[in-house]
Amino acid sequence: MSKVVFCEDDPMIRKLVQAAMRSTTHDVHIAEDGKRGLDLIERVRPDVVFSDVAMPVMDGFELADAMRAMPDIAHIPIVFMTASVQREQIEECFRHGAAGHLAKPFTMADLRARVAQYSKS
Amino acid sequence: MRKLPRSLRFYVAASTLYAALVFFAVQFIYTIELAHSGIVIALRDSGDVLSSIQIVSFVVWLGISLIAAAIMHRLATALAGAKSAEAEAKSSEEHKDQELGSIFGLSAALAGPLDLEQIGGYFVAAIRGGLPLDVTLALIVYDDVLEAFRTIAADGPRAEAFKERSYSSVALPSIVRVRVIDHRQSLVVADTAAEPQMWARVKEEMPALAPARSFAALPLVSRERLVGALLLLGERPGDVTPDTAQLPVIMGQYVAGSIHSALSVKEAEARAEREALVNRIAQRARASLDPTEILRGTVDELAKVLGVSRALVCTGASEEDLAVSYEWDATGVAPVGVGAKHLPIARLAARLGRTVIVTDIRKDRRFADAHRPEDQVTQDVIAAAATPIRVGGQLAGALSFSQIDRTREWTADEVRLIESVGQELRVAIAAAEAYERQRAAVAELERLNRAKSDFVSIVSHEFRTPLTGIQGFSEMMRSEDLTLEEMREYAGDINKDAHRLNRMINEMLDLDKMESGRMQLHREPVDLNNVVSEAVNRVRPNAPQHPVSVRLDPLVGEMSGDRDKLTQVIANLLNNAVKYSPNGGEIVVSTRLEGNTSHVVVRDHGMGIPKEALEAIFERYGRVESPATRHIQGTGLGLPIVRQIVQLHGGTVWAESTVGAGSVFHVILPRSAAARSDVTEAAS
Repeated sequence: MSKVVFCEDDPMIRKLVQAAMRSTTHDVHIAEDGKRGLDLIERVRPDVVFSDVAMPVMDGFELADAMRAMPDIAHIPIVFMTASVQREQIEECFRHGAAGHLAKPFTMADLRARVAQYSKS
Repeated sequence: MRKLPRSLRFYVAASTLYAALVFFAVQFIYTIELAHSGIVIALRDSGDVLSSIQIVSFVVWLGISLIAAAIMHRLATALAGAKSAEAEAKSSEEHKDQELGSIFGLSAALAGPLDLEQIGGYFVAAIRGGLPLDVTLALIVYDDVLEAFRTIAADGPRAEAFKERSYSSVALPSIVRVRVIDHRQSLVVADTAAEPQMWARVKEEMPALAPARSFAALPLVSRERLVGALLLLGERPGDVTPDTAQLPVIMGQYVAGSIHSALSVKEAEARAEREALVNRIAQRARASLDPTEILRGTVDELAKVLGVSRALVCTGASEEDLAVSYEWDATGVAPVGVGAKHLPIARLAARLGRTVIVTDIRKDRRFADAHRPEDQVTQDVIAAAATPIRVGGQLAGALSFSQIDRTREWTADEVRLIESVGQELRVAIAAAEAYERQRAAVAELERLNRAKSDFVSIVSHEFRTPLTGIQGFSEMMRSEDLTLEEMREYAGDINKDAHRLNRMINEMLDLDKMESGRMQLHREPVDLNNVVSEAVNRVRPNAPQHPVSVRLDPLVGEMSGDRDKLTQVIANLLNNAVKYSPNGGEIVVSTRLEGNTSHVVVRDHGMGIPKEALEAIFERYGRVESPATRHIQGTGLGLPIVRQIVQLHGGTVWAESTVGAGSVFHVILPRSAAARSDVTEAAS
C-alpha cells in the first residue's frame, strides 16, 4: 500500500482515477490544480505524485519545481500524465525532474501498475 | 670754377703743372746754354731779360695746357656719355630678359602634367615679384565639375579669405561677372574710394573684397574659353594699377592654357569616374541576389562621391507613403531614422516626377512651410537633391541627398549622376520588391505550415482528454465488477466525453465552413439581451471563482441573427474570460444600444493579452503561447469562431487589453440583417 496524490483539472479524469483506484488498497488523494495539489502533498507526504501538466493556477511543471524547492517533499517522485506524445514535450517533463511519464489516454491497468511501482512493500 | 666738373679740374691742374715744369726746364736749359756759350751774364742785370722771356713762355704754355685740358675734358665727357648710354641700353635689355626668363621659366614649369593647384602656385609665385608685397592675389578657376569658380591659389595678407573657397558665378560681384567673366575684359580699380557707389555694391556682393583699397580682376582666357580670373587686392590706393597689372595679364595668358588643359583632364577624369560608378552600380544591380545589399552599397558609394552629409532611400507607392527605408550619414550627422516620413524634398520630387534640387532651403519658397524649425532632424538640411524612382510607370520611391550646414550648388553633372543611379536603383528596387514578395509568400507558407502542425498537435492533445475518459470508463465497465448503478453512471460519463469530443470536432468543422463561406445562418428575430443571459447561465456553473455581473441595456431589443451562433459567441468570450483569469476576478458583461448597432462588452480582470497579439488571437491557431498560457487548455478555435460568426452577422469584434490587468472584448452587431462585408478578407 502506498499514499498517492493525483493532480488533475479535468473532472472526468479525476472521476475516472478515483473509480480506478477504488479497487486498490492505496491511499488516494486528488487535487484539481497544482496549488491545491502542493498543499495536499505537504499535508499527506505521499509516496508518489501523479500530475497533469496543463492545469490552471499552478501547472504540473511549476508544481514539480515548487516541490524541489521544499526540502521536506523534494524527494517525492512525480509522474506526469500528459496528452502530449511529442518528444520535446516528454523531454521537458524529465527536465522538470519527472520520475516517469504516463501518456493519455492510459489504461486502468497501466495506471494501477505505475502506482504499484512506487508502493512500499 | 666753383662747380667745375671733376675731370676738368683734373685737366686744368695737370696742364698747369705741365706748364710749370716746361717753364723751369726751359729756364734751366737757357741758363746752362748761356753759360756755355761764354756770354757772361751778370746775374743781376740779365735777370730782367730772362724773367720776361720766362713769364711769356710760361703764360703761353699755360694757355696751351688749359686749352688741351678743356679739349680732353670734352672728349672724356663725350666718351663717358657714350659709355653710360651703352650700359643703360644693356641693363634694360637684361631686365627684359629677366622678365621673359620668368615667363619662359613659368611656361617651362607648366609644360609637364600638373594639377590646378600646382599651376596656381607657380603662377602666383611668378607674378608676386612684380607687385607690392602686401597685394593679395587670388586665382579662381572655373571648375566644370563644380560648375563654380574655385580658388586654386592665393597669396598675400588676405589670402585666407579666398583659400579653398568656391563661388558660383552669382556669388561674384555683378561688375566682375559682366565685365570680366562675360566680356573677358580686365577690371582695374586703382582707388576703390574714388568709385564709392560701384565699390559699395561690390563689397555687398562679395564681402571678401571689402578691405581692398585698390583692386583688379583679370580674366584668364584660353582658346576662346574663360578658364578663370585673377583677383588682386591692394592694401593702399595705387598698389594695383593698370601698369602693375601688366605683368599678371601677360603671364595670365601663358597660365590660362595650362589651366585649360588641367581642367580638361580633370573633367575627363571626373566623367570617367562617374561612368565607372554608374557601371559598377549597374553591374552590382545585375549580379547581386540581395537587393538590400545593392541598395546600400550603391547609396553609400554615391554619397561619398558626392560628398554629401546624408543619403536617403525612400520607398513608397505614393507621395504620402514615402518613408525612409535606408539611410547613410556622414560621421557626426544625426540620422533621421528608418521609417521617417517628414521628407519634403523627396515628396516634391515624387509629386513632380522629376529631380528637385535645392541650393538653400532657407531661401527656397517651395519649402517655406516644409522647413520646420521645430523639426530637429530636417532643420539642419540646407541643400538637397532628390530624384523619384519609378518602377513600371509607378512611383516606387525616391533617392535624396542632403547637405548639412552649407549651401550647395548642384551641378548638372551631379544631377545627371543622381538620376542615372536612380535609374539603376529602379532595377534593384523592382528586384527587391519581387524578392520581398516571394520571401513574404514563403514565410507565410511556412507560418501556415507551422500553424497547421501546431494545430494537429493541439487538437490531438485536446482529443486525448475526452478519449481518456471514454477509454478508461469503458475499460472499467468491461473488466470490473460493478453495480448496475455504477454501470449506468460510467456509461453516462462515456456519453459526456463522447459529446465533448463531438463538440470539438464540430467546432473545427464549423470554423472550416465559416472560413470557406459555406456556413449558413439560421436567421430569426433574436433578443440579444436574452442571448447574453443564456450564455452567462451556461458559463456560470463552470466559474465558481468568478463573479459574473451582467448589465443589460433594455433598449437593446431584437435583432436579426442566428440565436445558437450568437450564444456561442458570448459563451466563448465568457469562457475565455474565465480561462484567462486563473486567479478569479469579476467578469462584466454589458450590452448597449448604439444607433443601429448593439454593442456587447465582455471585461475580465485576468492576465491580459500582449499588444502585438491582440489581432493574432482572432486567427486560427493564433493562441498566445507563453509560460502563462501553457497550462490553459483549448483548441485555439474559440476566438476565430467568434470572429467568423460576428462577421457573418455583418458585425465586428476586437479586443483591448493591458497585460496583467485584464482584457475587454467588444462585439458590435447591426440590428438588421447586413451583408457580410469582409467575406473575401476572411476567406483569404
